[in-house]
Amino acid sequence: MLSIVFFSASVNQLLRCASHMLRKKLPFLHSLLSPVSRHVGHLTGHQYDVIVVGGGHAGTEAAAAAARVGAETLLITQKIHTIGALSCNPSLGGVGKGQLVKEVDALDGLCGRAGDWAGIHFSILNRRKGPAVWGPRAQLDRQRYRDFIQSELLSTPRLTMVEGSVEELLVTEPNPEEPGHHRVTGIRLANGSHAISARSVVLTTGTFLSGSLFVGQTTSPGGRIGDAPSSAGLSHTLRERLGLRTGRLRTGTPPRIVKDSVDLSLAKLHLPDSHPTPFSFLNTHTHCKPEEQLPCYLTFTTPGVERVVRESLQLNCHIQQDTKGPRYCPSIESRVLRFPGRSHQVWLEPEGVTSDLLYPQGLSMTMPPDIQLRLIREIPPMRRAEIHTPGYGVQYDFVCPTQLSPALQVKSTQGLFLAGQINGTTGYEEAAAQGLWAGANAARSALSMPTVTLSRTESYIGVLIDDLVSRGVTEPYRMFTSRAEFRTSLRPDNADLRLTPKGRCFEEVGCVSSVRYQESLRVRNSLQDALTALQALFLSTSSWKKKLPSVPISETKSTLLTGLDLLQYNDVTFEMLASAFPESLSSFMEFAQRLKIEAVYKPHCDLNKKEIERIQREENMSLPQDIDYFSLPVSLSDEVREILDRVRPSTLGAATRLEGITPAAVVNLLNYVRVTEKKKETHRNQRQQEAQRDEELCANSASLPQ
Amino acid sequence: MLPLRPVCGGIWRAAVHTVRMSRGAPPYRLFSSTCDGAPAALADADTIFALSSGHGRCGVAVVRVSGPASATALRCMAGFTQRLPPPRTALLRSITDPRSTEVLDRGLVLWFPGSVPGLRPAEAGEFTRRAFQAGKLGLTEVEGLGDLIHAETEAQRRQALRQMSGELGRLYQDWSDRLKRCLAHVEAFIDFSEDELIEDGVLNRVDVSVSDLQAEIERHLKDERRGERLRSGVQVVIAGATNAGKSSLLNKLCQRPAAIVSPIAGTTRDVVETALDLGGFPVLLSDTAGLRDSSDLVEREGVRRARERVEQADLTLVVVDSAHLPSEVDRAAAFLREHLRSVLPDTDRCLLVLNKADLLPEKQRQKLDTELRGVSGLPAVRLISCQTNEGLKAFLTVLHSSVKTLCGDPLFGAPTLTQARHRAHLQRCAAALAQYQRYRDTDLALAAEGVRLAVTSLGRITGRVGAEEILDIIFKDFCIGK
Repeated sequence: MLSIVFFSASVNQLLRCASHMLRKKLPFLHSLLSPVSRHVGHLTGHQYDVIVVGGGHAGTEAAAAAARVGAETLLITQKIHTIGALSCNPSLGGVGKGQLVKEVDALDGLCGRAGDWAGIHFSILNRRKGPAVWGPRAQLDRQRYRDFIQSELLSTPRLTMVEGSVEELLVTEPNPEEPGHHRVTGIRLANGSHAISARSVVLTTGTFLSGSLFVGQTTSPGGRIGDAPSSAGLSHTLRERLGLRTGRLRTGTPPRIVKDSVDLSLAKLHLPDSHPTPFSFLNTHTHCKPEEQLPCYLTFTTPGVERVVRESLQLNCHIQQDTKGPRYCPSIESRVLRFPGRSHQVWLEPEGVTSDLLYPQGLSMTMPPDIQLRLIREIPPMRRAEIHTPGYGVQYDFVCPTQLSPALQVKSTQGLFLAGQINGTTGYEEAAAQGLWAGANAARSALSMPTVTLSRTESYIGVLIDDLVSRGVTEPYRMFTSRAEFRTSLRPDNADLRLTPKGRCFEEVGCVSSVRYQESLRVRNSLQDALTALQALFLSTSSWKKKLPSVPISETKSTLLTGLDLLQYNDVTFEMLASAFPESLSSFMEFAQRLKIEAVYKPHCDLNKKEIERIQREENMSLPQDIDYFSLPVSLSDEVREILDRVRPSTLGAATRLEGITPAAVVNLLNYVRVTEKKKETHRNQRQQEAQRDEELCANSASLPQ
Repeated sequence: MLPLRPVCGGIWRAAVHTVRMSRGAPPYRLFSSTCDGAPAALADADTIFALSSGHGRCGVAVVRVSGPASATALRCMAGFTQRLPPPRTALLRSITDPRSTEVLDRGLVLWFPGSVPGLRPAEAGEFTRRAFQAGKLGLTEVEGLGDLIHAETEAQRRQALRQMSGELGRLYQDWSDRLKRCLAHVEAFIDFSEDELIEDGVLNRVDVSVSDLQAEIERHLKDERRGERLRSGVQVVIAGATNAGKSSLLNKLCQRPAAIVSPIAGTTRDVVETALDLGGFPVLLSDTAGLRDSSDLVEREGVRRARERVEQADLTLVVVDSAHLPSEVDRAAAFLREHLRSVLPDTDRCLLVLNKADLLPEKQRQKLDTELRGVSGLPAVRLISCQTNEGLKAFLTVLHSSVKTLCGDPLFGAPTLTQARHRAHLQRCAAALAQYQRYRDTDLALAAEGVRLAVTSLGRITGRVGAEEILDIIFKDFCIGK
């Protein structure tokens, strides 16, 4: 008998005012669980706007975003209590990933605030390498993170959660007025014939799509150890019924180690920042007090580790298969095989305040459990270590993401959105970012609003989605700062300025609460005022020297410098300027660090602007989805036609970034777009004129006496 | 269609070559005409014509007519009133103005009936673009091909061929590869060094590479325009006092009376230009007004223009009337030094031509000729007489070797810059590398931005570089865990 738990969103509507979030206590979840349990039968016949399948990082963000936009939303997951679970590493953020967390937060997503609540070890990575590449990161308490996400979802209006396994998608004929060959109208649950209908469905099934688990020579179906495999029906629908191309990827997770069995005195202590920096723009401090933070430990592999890997190769089927694994999060097996004779880093990370486990980052492995134990015991601090849960590998299907639009909608199927690992990505942050965007668009589509896209020139989320839908993936995709061409403009510090107004100002997106929106306006105006005040300070170099005697200002050129110029000097801080000019600057002390960053990066961002505008222009030139590239009357090589036909870039900008597309081809496409747009415009004008004529006729007839 | 149809590329080159081999013969006009099978996409196409052989000074011109009315054009302009010529056969015809029936020129006419299915008129540069698309040519090679079409002299042709064969392309590619590696290593340090074992030496190695590259690119930029000179011709200016025989020298060099010559001082008032092929090197020779103070408005303007030309010149020939020279060698040298100062801003790039040598007594002539050589502060000196041709041969040898030095031998040494476009991108590249140095210790993101800009600038010459390519290098060079 399928056990169904059913939550109603109306249970409580607490904590919406996020600025108070951290001072509040989370509701005690277990007390909420039992009384609202209902049979899923209540749901059949109910029409939802959006159904989200999956309760991981993508699913929870998608469900919350859809509900924020205003859609009646249903989240379906196999186990309610694993909603918000951190399946792999107990950490959030990092270089590149931290930017994504900040951006998700700027659009009012969950993961930033959840990180601030659950973090037990905060640090800004790359602190000495420049603010554009700072990587906010935190070790998390698994339990706290899950609690926060679940409580947040429970308190989200219009959001319902239900336990169940989705057997298949309900597919019908497409709406002829929109592009696409199919339309998804809902889902059918397994172990029963319950069908639930919805206008949009978001699939965030993670590694569960035809997932198989690998330990040593054993293989079993599943997406995560301890969870039931998802039904084969969903894979079947996607591939056979909707004709989507899929590929196979693999990933893995390390064994969890019993903390007490490890001699941490043999590892290098790694302390967190003494002043934790919260992820969220709404939080001024983290839930964890600075002094309560837990340390991490660093240790290294030995030649013994390599020996064990080599000896056990024939017992390791995961590593023998040539399915694509990530190059940047490789198993210990592929690390030592690819770079032999070296010592590799292993981080020993806490799993939580009360947890008695350690997470050995860098030791993802798939050999038989007894050999895993032999391997870890080759590392000095773990000579006598015990394994709590062995590591394992997962192989799973992903849908080639070039079949998606920049709104993360399947191009061929109306109403179907995909987010997370199903699109070939890896990582919590990548999943959360896609989830938020897919959820917001699923809701907009369900509520008959046009879908929206984010440009790669304005956000890492835009870079992520554009890379996925226009280039596709050959290995699990992870965000790096080097993927963002305009990294100096897309900084973690200014994500709110870049995105919060966007989440609101296409007022229709509406995925940003008014509290956050007002706060972002206040910040934007204050920063603007402060920059104006700095520019108004206009002094000669000698006067500046008198004001700031400690700063080495060259007096050889007797030019006039503004406060903004001065702030670009290495050793000038905003605090120094504010104490020299308290009357005009002291009111902006709150933004001292942001102002310093703004000043230093301003000249570079200004230089980027022209290129950004060019790309945005190209991105505004859309290529029709039904275009027949093989008969297109423009000069294109067969090779280029083939690439364009396969990927079907949605804009000229996306086309230019495809591999194998030559500058000449882009010029030819550009001309084609210009010509067709002109034609369309004439056509539109004609139609408008006709409509006007019709209206006039109607008006005339209406005015006729009855 | 001939030059732009890929299958005919070889024929085109052969045609250029043939005409080049028979230099001196009257220039040909190649007149080709095509009637396309009017493919569906271009069914309503106009008949178009274009000068296909490129603009500028050309010994050969190819005029292309293409489209449904090309047969009509052929009938009324090449005199095929009865029937059209046999297809794909070159015929020597008079080309006439269809209205006035005035003969415009004589040339070869080729008729390509559009019986070949799928043919359509090529767009400007489409041949090269196609070759580029098909991966047959790199960007620098395409430019080399453009130069080949424009090649006027043997030396230019050799340089163009050299560039096409990819020597310059290989140099830029090598820089690009090294820069990409630098960028990949900086990016690896930014994206992974916190979690990974990226040795500290990585950035130091990048520092070394960046300064090496910067130095190499700057050295390449300082080739003193040699490559560009070879493409557009060495600017040689004849300057000097009035009535020294400047115009006579010009006429001698170009072997025709290009400039008016008279015994009256101040005959030449404007700049007279003529293009020369000097032993394979292109030379743009300018005769200028004699330098003197004048109350005549027109002459004053002529003198101003002369001075302007001298400033822009790659090489100046300062012509002096030998009869004005003091008879003692020491005083003659002082006189010449003084004279040079009044003509030139600097004496680095000039030759002294002592004209009217026939007016000097034989003894003094020999004395000057031997003793003025190697006098410090004076450039190469040659005595000549435009009247008797005395010394002209020796002077031409000196002039040739000077021009050759200015161009650089296209077959030896590092490939030189041939495109102003390359120069601009390389300058941007070098400036971007300076940004790396500036921010190296304070903000690695901004320093990396410098390397990225450098890669992009160079990529505009060699082809684009994507983020994936950088990541590929990162993963090849480093063991990146999580």
